[in-house]
Amino acid sequence: MSRRDGGRLPTPVRRLIEPFVDRTVAERVLISVAAIALSIAVGFAIVLVSGRIAECSAAAWTMPVTGLGFCYDPFEVYAVLFNGALGYPLAVGEPGVFNPSWTPFNLSFGLTLSETTLLIFTGLSVAVAFRAGLFNIGTQGQLVVGALATALTVLALAPLLPAGPVSGVALVVVGTLAGAVGGGLWGAIPGALKAYADANEVITTIMLNFVAANVAYVLVLEVFRAEGSSVVATRYVPEYAQFTPWLFPGSSDFALLALAVGTAFIGALYYLVEHTPFGYDLRTSGVQAAAAEYGGVDAKLTTVRAMTLSGALGGVGGAVWVLMSEGRWIASVPDLGFDGITVSILAGNNPLGVLPAAFLFGILKGGALEIGFRTNVPTELVGVLRGLIILFVAMPEFFRMAGRYAGLGSSGPGGPETTEDDSDGSGDDDGTTDGAVATAEGGETDA
Amino acid sequence: MNPAVHLDGITKRFPGVVANDDVDLAIERGSVHALLGENGAGKTTLMNVLYGLYRPTEGRVVVDGEPRSFASPRDAIDAGIGMIHQHFMLVDPMTVWENVVLGNEPRTWGGLRVDEAAAREAVVELSDRYGFDVDPDARIEDVSVGVQQRVEILKALYRGAEVLIMDEPTAVLTPQEVEELYDVFEELTEQGKTIIFISHKLGEALSAADEITVLRDGVNVGTVAAGDVTREELAEMMVGREVLMEPATTPREPGNRVLEVTDLRVEDDRGVEAVSGISFELREGEVLGIAGVDGNGQLQLAEAITGMREPSAGSVEYLGESMAGVTRREHIDRGMAFVPEDRHERGLVMSYDLVQNGILGSQHDPPFAAGGRIDWEASAEHAESVIDAYDVRPPNADADAASFSGGNQQKFIVGREFERDPDLVVATHPTRGVDIGSTEFLHDRLLELRAEGKAILLVSSKLDEVQGLSDRLAVIHECEFTGVVDPATVTEEEIGLLMAGETLDDASVSGAAIHDAVDDGLAGSGESDGDADADATREPAADEEVDA
Repeated sequence: MSRRDGGRLPTPVRRLIEPFVDRTVAERVLISVAAIALSIAVGFAIVLVSGRIAECSAAAWTMPVTGLGFCYDPFEVYAVLFNGALGYPLAVGEPGVFNPSWTPFNLSFGLTLSETTLLIFTGLSVAVAFRAGLFNIGTQGQLVVGALATALTVLALAPLLPAGPVSGVALVVVGTLAGAVGGGLWGAIPGALKAYADANEVITTIMLNFVAANVAYVLVLEVFRAEGSSVVATRYVPEYAQFTPWLFPGSSDFALLALAVGTAFIGALYYLVEHTPFGYDLRTSGVQAAAAEYGGVDAKLTTVRAMTLSGALGGVGGAVWVLMSEGRWIASVPDLGFDGITVSILAGNNPLGVLPAAFLFGILKGGALEIGFRTNVPTELVGVLRGLIILFVAMPEFFRMAGRYAGLGSSGPGGPETTEDDSDGSGDDDGTTDGAVATAEGGETDA
Repeated sequence: MNPAVHLDGITKRFPGVVANDDVDLAIERGSVHALLGENGAGKTTLMNVLYGLYRPTEGRVVVDGEPRSFASPRDAIDAGIGMIHQHFMLVDPMTVWENVVLGNEPRTWGGLRVDEAAAREAVVELSDRYGFDVDPDARIEDVSVGVQQRVEILKALYRGAEVLIMDEPTAVLTPQEVEELYDVFEELTEQGKTIIFISHKLGEALSAADEITVLRDGVNVGTVAAGDVTREELAEMMVGREVLMEPATTPREPGNRVLEVTDLRVEDDRGVEAVSGISFELREGEVLGIAGVDGNGQLQLAEAITGMREPSAGSVEYLGESMAGVTRREHIDRGMAFVPEDRHERGLVMSYDLVQNGILGSQHDPPFAAGGRIDWEASAEHAESVIDAYDVRPPNADADAASFSGGNQQKFIVGREFERDPDLVVATHPTRGVDIGSTEFLHDRLLELRAEGKAILLVSSKLDEVQGLSDRLAVIHECEFTGVVDPATVTEEEIGLLMAGETLDDASVSGAAIHDAVDDGLAGSGESDGDADADATREPAADEEVDA
């Protein structure tokens, strides 16, 4: 057998993965919707079982017919999760009725969109690297470095400019650029290590995450810590140099402008990947490195560029985190970079898919907070439900990617023809079992 | 007596495609049966049905008069059917006998231990019975491709195969090894075994088979006795129209020097020298053929010339400029077209449609890229023009490359590269896997390029191809040219000897070209040290040589 044919996977694993490999976009969307429904069904059972085990004074929900009482109401949990994440557009307790006092500009929806915005940048960061065939686990570290660069730059420049909206705009722009440069340089390191020293980017980016977190921590602790602060954090950047939370309550840490920037980034990245020569080089390196090399793509340069771009996007995510959410650099950086990996997988590494994927994450985050407020369901259980949804939705995409990586399906690096690598008369040479699968899927077009 | 195998009305459909359409086929016991057809004619599909890899949509498989239904190759093997794929499934670091018994080892200690002595004994006995000259203790990685093939045959026999299916068995062999394979066929059929081999080469079907069945578009066009049919008749059965068998080369005055390779040394991926001091030059309007068994360095030679691989020593001069340190992209930009050997890994991005594949290598160049963006409309037009001109089927530029059959993928790659308006074309196996009808077209197009004054380096393992198209023919063996000969006067046997690493002595060489070469110190000694080669090959092929 030839090199990469999926044959290295054990048969049960292949059987499991194969159905997910060759799917159209519409089928994949359908699979995702079905996955959410399935995850809710499973979560439903888990809520019931835990509600039976837990002790409470009054049953939150009684099962019809049997009369069994449960401490947690699964209907309420999921209603609050999705409804609450949007700030209750549907009236509580009256399913299906629109809530007349609802406006989109509420705190819960703000929190949901805040998370969405931040994950757009980290999701894009991971997705771009992935399209170039690079697994950037280091978005977290790039975000940390970018965020620190932003905070320090804005803090350094702010005293030099007169306070006011004009300098505010300038500071936000320069601060975001500083974040991009910081994250980009931090991303370029593993890129260069991969290109010129053949160091696996998975390993180096993971290690650089620790380096970034700890170096930033020590720097802030020893040098840039705000006087009198009880936590390891820089001073706050001036209010006018932050994204203004128009319409939404300030406590939601959300600014529509930042979301607009994020959406513009999605469009720009999509255009870059699909419609420019650089994007062509990047994608080709990602799906078939040997063909890219044949087509004149400089593999080393593309690796460095892709990682720099990926890091810069993570850095912008850090900048937005500082300028929109926190107002300062603080050592307790949320796991936005790691969630970005899942967002990217959910999005099929397509920039356009990052928006819905990040929004789903935002809803789960905002909804989880609401469940904590509204019900007696423990946060741990909410975490389980959240994890279930992500797991169910991400798994088919993950299988698809894993399958392609292993060379299953018609268009992976080892497509059907590669299995035979026929030296003559290949037209009808989809001989082996692998070929059989691919042929059955796609059909020998001219057989 | 029942036929060994009877395929009764086999139809195999894939979504949207009928690969086999009501095929009836009876194969006599003890005969050699060739299954002949173009790419996509359904030969391999049919055999995969027989071997249990596919279930027929309709029809049934009858073995020895008994209708059978195979759920997997395991069932087919149990029914005495063995299949030898084009690409051998052998474990390189293991010995011959280990490979033969692998999966069916005789055991002792209640099944816990492989009975090595008995296993080896069984393999030796089998090998002797059929007169195979195979050392049971040799490692697979150390033996030739021909021997590996015999190990595959032994494997099938060891599992009790009465009917052997061989998929394109000669594709990887030297002419001498092909002869030996025919001897093996004879030995096997004498002992009552039945052989079915898949081929799209007329010659080998005629010389090796007793009966020939031609498939076209999934339909059995007819079964004929090999003795009662001519090449031309067979070709017409395969293609469905008359075919010109010989490409017509016309002599031409070579022009300016395009490529000069001097004492080139190239290492392969493992760091082992794959090209050891090869020198030659190539002029406008000239075709230099390189013949040789695959894996003798021609791949690395082509890669080094086209900028895919850094030579370890020596130089490549292209259009008067040294190409040392020049990037692959710059090679393309300077007008070098390259039909790579591996179309699935390199020539095409399998998950891209043909529009995207059509600009592979030109993605930064006008008219496809302008102002930092790719003009997908221009790209689509380009892809469609290639599809149209090179008869890529189905003519659908939006289909993924992976969905095309190998021959059509190849046509698209060759089309893309030929239409680059190159100064130099390096074509490795340009017609590999391409059917006769299209091969004829690609050959004509290659000769047109030659007439336009392009320089062409043609690497092929098909002797008739390199012989028919080249102005000069170099034979490569183990990293070196064993000879540069005049394709018009050299015989197939002589090329075969050179391919096997032998050298031609003066007596066996005839023709003006060789004498010229001898004068220049090449073929006389037969030694292929770099300097001698360089001298000989620097001599442009003169017209009269081609005439001769």
